[in-house]
Amino acid sequence: MSPLLLLAAVLAGQLDGAGVGRTVAAHRGRPVVVTLWATWCEPCVKEFPELAALARERKDVAFVSVSIDEESDRSTVEKFLSQRRPPFPVYMKAPGPDQAFIDGVDREWSGVVPATLVYDRDGRRVALLQGEHTRADIEKALARTQAAAR
Amino acid sequence: MSLARLAVIATVGLAVALPAAGAVAIGEKLQPFKLNDATGKTVDLAGLQGKKAVVLMFIATQCPVSNAYNERMAALSHEYAAKGVAFVGINSNRQESVEEIAGHAAQHGFAFPVLKDVGNVQADHFGAQVTPEIYVYDQGWVLRYHGRIDDDRSGANVKSQDLRNALDAVLAGKAVPVAETKAFGCTIKRVAQ
Repeated sequence: MSPLLLLAAVLAGQLDGAGVGRTVAAHRGRPVVVTLWATWCEPCVKEFPELAALARERKDVAFVSVSIDEESDRSTVEKFLSQRRPPFPVYMKAPGPDQAFIDGVDREWSGVVPATLVYDRDGRRVALLQGEHTRADIEKALARTQAAAR
Repeated sequence: MSLARLAVIATVGLAVALPAAGAVAIGEKLQPFKLNDATGKTVDLAGLQGKKAVVLMFIATQCPVSNAYNERMAALSHEYAAKGVAFVGINSNRQESVEEIAGHAAQHGFAFPVLKDVGNVQADHFGAQVTPEIYVYDQGWVLRYHGRIDDDRSGANVKSQDLRNALDAVLAGKAVPVAETKAFGCTIKRVAQ
């Protein structure tokens, strides 16, 4: 496969705030983990491998990743992803006002990255982790989705 | 919803989000504090009493988002200094030294002091979470605006000049049209707890 095709494969598209909601809804029936991050965000870069490892293990969970990098930094995002080959789809934030995107994703999200939102099988948000968190924090939130399903 | 409702305490490989009990709210009075600037000189905010407004800006030297606003911060501070407004930068990032802050300020022509918040004490007090993050106080030292500088990080498609709008309202003695906004920025790198 040519390097160009590899790059093309790693970005799933663009999402606005409502698009994030629709993507979560499309996974109804499975818990969903949405991560919001940027290549310029040091803690985001640091937690990325842990998240990828978790996604490789938890096939029962849908992982969705959204970069909030500017469109002008698309090549940086593509390079980052081509080096890491995450096992989940990675989108870029669609061009538009930041605040509309933030509120469209979740009104309780402050806009800080990294941010991780965990949804249960019915699409209810059960956790909003703002700032740097560990894999254990995400697993704890996922355990709550199982408890909610019982 | 404010940008700084949570305090994120970063440690090596671990961060815990806690409710920001100390976060300031619109309408609250400024509690003056003293910090050293990048040259080591102590700056006492009490010395700014009498200014028509005081703008506190949590900024960084290494954050691309904060750096995208360098020119805009320098221009706004210059323009509004003539109108009696004081701008103060605060750097709370643990990894950014005073030497780096001084060099960065000189490189970007900052006419305002940039204070080093050792141990992120003021970032914790304000509940500041990202850079850049702005707090605007009026002449009575009441918080009138908190949030972003404007709505476009790149600067190419700014539609809402939130900091400018807030300052114009404060200087005109009017209500700030949008007192709180959200923005993306780099997380303030706090000391380990």
